[in-house]
Amino acid sequence: MTPETRSAVSAGIRESLLIVLGYIPFGLAAGAAMAQTSVSPVLSILTSPILFAGASQLVAIQVLGSGAGLALVVFSVAIINARHLLYSASLAPHLADWSRGQRMGAAFFLSDPVYALAISRFEREGGAGSRAAQIGYYFAVGLTGFVGWGALVTVGVLLGGFIPVWVPLELAIPLTFLLLLLPLIKDRAGLVAASVGGLGAFLAHGLPFGAGLMVGAVAGLIAGGIVLARTSEEPADA
Amino acid sequence: MLELLLSGLVTYLERAVFLISKRVRPPKRVLRYLPLVGPAVLGAIAVPGILAPAGVFSLIETVPAVIGSVLGALAWRFTKQVVIGLLVGLGVWWGLIFALVQLGLR
Repeated sequence: MTPETRSAVSAGIRESLLIVLGYIPFGLAAGAAMAQTSVSPVLSILTSPILFAGASQLVAIQVLGSGAGLALVVFSVAIINARHLLYSASLAPHLADWSRGQRMGAAFFLSDPVYALAISRFEREGGAGSRAAQIGYYFAVGLTGFVGWGALVTVGVLLGGFIPVWVPLELAIPLTFLLLLLPLIKDRAGLVAASVGGLGAFLAHGLPFGAGLMVGAVAGLIAGGIVLARTSEEPADA
Repeated sequence: MLELLLSGLVTYLERAVFLISKRVRPPKRVLRYLPLVGPAVLGAIAVPGILAPAGVFSLIETVPAVIGSVLGALAWRFTKQVVIGLLVGLGVWWGLIFALVQLGLR
């Protein structure tokens, strides 16, 4: 392993651990909420390695616990996780020269925080270094998050309602995503996409299946796209 | 169990669809808009949680979270360190909550 790759791997582990810390309240709460349903603890814990997508794990177990059939469970998860289609498309150009096996492995870890960290690094000025460094960073982030998240949910399921109310941390996750989003805003179109996406999701947050997030994201994409199309005459600087 | 495995498969396919084969690519006219995906989706994740921390949108909940987030973002702007932005943002937020509790407003 070259020094560059080694440093990328340790950066990936470090940055992913920071996110795992921010996820402590949500992971424990999600696990505890799953433990309240009629679904077995083992199945609840298995949602982490199988789905690796917090909100959808919670919903899958709740829908399953309510006695709904297979189709409704899978449909709910598919709708909640539809944003991953966008992540997939967005990362594709950056992963174009990875091997197929590497890209298939990368897809498995493509959750919200992994996408946010990866795209922030891959799109920063000067790029993200060699291919090996990019791969090392991505999988370090993914594996660290995978293990950390799985552990949090497991503890949450096992401890259930015994988790004390401590320092409020609800702001940790949205603030982390805000900080990862800032370097991605490189022009007016990006700013419009983020603002409209955020406000749209806020206004639509009451929709079922967590669809508000997707409604906001699509509104943001359209609004940002209109701005981008209008500024297409100017030379691109990104 | 079958429900979970199928849900996992669907989630994986949603993540993998544009990564597995180089032939399955986003349409050409869409390519230049892809850099907007990060801002739009991450904005949609971040903003509702800041405007309504713990799901509640009210002066007493929203104002401290927004002030904390803005100062956290400013701290990031000067240091380019996510961890510093996070610590400043959470610190300010906790400080404001503590102040509101002391004033008997929370």
